[in-house]
Amino acid sequence: MHRRAFVRLLAAAAAFAKAPASQAEVRRQPTRTDLPKLRVVSRYPPAAVPGMPGPYPGRVVSVASDKSVDIATGAANGDVVREMMARGMRRLTGASTTADAWRRFFQPSDVVGLKVNCGGYPYVISAYEIVTETIQRLMDIGIPATQIFLYERFQNQLDECNYTPHLPEGVRIVAAERANRNVDNSGYDPATYLEADFFGEDDTRSNMMRLVSQRLTKIINIPNMKDHGATGATGCLKNVAYGSFSNVARTHQRGKSYTYSVVGSLAAMEPLRSRTVLQIMDGLRGVWHGGPFARTTRYVFYPRRILFGTDPVAIDRLLLDVIEKERLARGARSIWDRSPDSLRMDDTRARDADPNVNIIIREPGHVEYASTLGLGVADLAHITVEEEAV
Amino acid sequence: MTSIVPLLAALILSVPCVYWTQGLASRPALEAAGLTTLCVPADQADLWRAAGVRVMPVSEAELASREALPTPGVTARAGVASPTRAPWIVANGWRIARNPSKKYAYSPAAGAAALAAAEAYAYGADAILKIDPADLKRAGDMLTFLQSVPPLDLPAIADVGIVDDGSDITGEIMNLLSRRNLLYRIVPSPASQLPVNIVIGSSAYPREQAADPSAFALKVRHDLTDDRRSLRIFGSEVVIVRLTGDGQRARVHLMNYGGRDIEGLRVRLKGTFRAGEALVAGVGRVTLDDQVSADGATEFSLSRLTTYAVIDLR
Repeated sequence: MHRRAFVRLLAAAAAFAKAPASQAEVRRQPTRTDLPKLRVVSRYPPAAVPGMPGPYPGRVVSVASDKSVDIATGAANGDVVREMMARGMRRLTGASTTADAWRRFFQPSDVVGLKVNCGGYPYVISAYEIVTETIQRLMDIGIPATQIFLYERFQNQLDECNYTPHLPEGVRIVAAERANRNVDNSGYDPATYLEADFFGEDDTRSNMMRLVSQRLTKIINIPNMKDHGATGATGCLKNVAYGSFSNVARTHQRGKSYTYSVVGSLAAMEPLRSRTVLQIMDGLRGVWHGGPFARTTRYVFYPRRILFGTDPVAIDRLLLDVIEKERLARGARSIWDRSPDSLRMDDTRARDADPNVNIIIREPGHVEYASTLGLGVADLAHITVEEEAV
Repeated sequence: MTSIVPLLAALILSVPCVYWTQGLASRPALEAAGLTTLCVPADQADLWRAAGVRVMPVSEAELASREALPTPGVTARAGVASPTRAPWIVANGWRIARNPSKKYAYSPAAGAAALAAAEAYAYGADAILKIDPADLKRAGDMLTFLQSVPPLDLPAIADVGIVDDGSDITGEIMNLLSRRNLLYRIVPSPASQLPVNIVIGSSAYPREQAADPSAFALKVRHDLTDDRRSLRIFGSEVVIVRLTGDGQRARVHLMNYGGRDIEGLRVRLKGTFRAGEALVAGVGRVTLDDQVSADGATEFSLSRLTTYAVIDLR
């Protein structure tokens, strides 16, 4: 394979171009007066160096390859992805070998969870190639397969994605609930939760998965690049937060989203914050509208890149611009648009048919809010993007 | 010496009675379902008695005089969206609590007989169940279970008093309070020992606000505050609770209206209880999971809630 690397240090790379100036005013969120009262209950202390933002705040390594995905078929090239992963990890850590790069984060005694994303099945889920490569590299440095868990909240989504044939024997696949029916709480830790009353719902708790609080020692977050009707975009923060807690859909409904503060608040809860040590954003494929779902190819696009870092805020700040840029290029409304005329409450059919329809006022400011919780750097002027090409 | 006759009568009354119109030929099916006591049409009573079956004759007039209760469960209400997206629950506890001495009759749709029986039992209703024959086994299993629950006569616990003016709107408020597990009791006038008292039409609770019972119940909840509630439920929006207690002991009745078993339901109730166990319909006696007492409250999880469970704490 012919590989040619380009390395650039940019404050804000061209690939993550800022949205037009007309959106700038919108982006300056006024002081919010509608933040819900949140109560965090956790007996877990933070690590000396919490995994988020970890050792590389404000730093993102972006590895792109036009060969990573065949746009005509949507198929990924495993060899190219493997090289992208190796480059990204070495670049992020400065290690001379790929194994050493992984050793910066993990040791053989670790019990590692891979937080994948299955919500965009069938077109935009955490790529099999990235997941497989991650697991192989963990095993290369001595972590037994039986100490590696791939997890999501819902078993039916994991069943759809069917990672099993792609995984080494022994790797475990764990869900907290069989499906999104609110009847199965046994996979959640009753003593670790965020409590809030958003819309007058009776069940005011969102509990952390037991797997996260009681079993895993480290977590690798593998989100996708996706639009999201309630948050503007869903990347590192939302994947690891809303994907590790129960009863979170209650935060956004009937046109209103409390995700502005809740996404970051959940991600900041211990032990999730301390244990999530590595962010690998799968940008091989993306969704520019209708997210987090991708039941058709209509809104699928192909960034064909993978982002690496430990700072979920920095990566997500870049993601906002990726989604925004794609939407504007396609003539869709800005993710920052808060005008009520776009709103068709709860009408997902209308939203799916028209990229200028929102079902909820989006809250892309959740990324900046997360930065105020110490989860990372949201200011583009302080985010360093290091680009490589394969 | 205590007479056994009233004791038996009390037991029979506390467990709802299946009203059975099919003939003696159905006896094997009844026995297979574990039903040993029946309510039958008056003109069939002697036949059943002669066959050695314990029956209570119920005349058509008596049956007609009983208040008919709707089938309990959850239902889809097209075009009606609740502010919380919670499923719409049809529950009758509020009706029974409103008129505890009244006699009731359920004609539950197929599949709902067990829940109807549990609901009637939990609220101590004198109820007859006109069940779908397809529900015979489920009803029998539930009635057998209810008969196995040790009697425990404790007063109902309430956080809210409501002055019942007999109006439909007040009834609907009670319905929504029950639905939200806001424990109330009917009081003749505001009771000073209760944190919140509702008098529909008062300045605090104007009649026009009661026109939206769901929003009204939410206002009551906010007035009460969650911290002062005697009981909270986490992990489901389709479980309704009846709580009795005397400060030393508590009995929690959990009724699951959703039609699916619930795993890991979390219960929080005020008071410090060191021990407790659950009797779960269809499961039996189970220990409580993750029980903790702190800050003047006790929490525990129930590994599995079928249609109904009784939890005793002390």
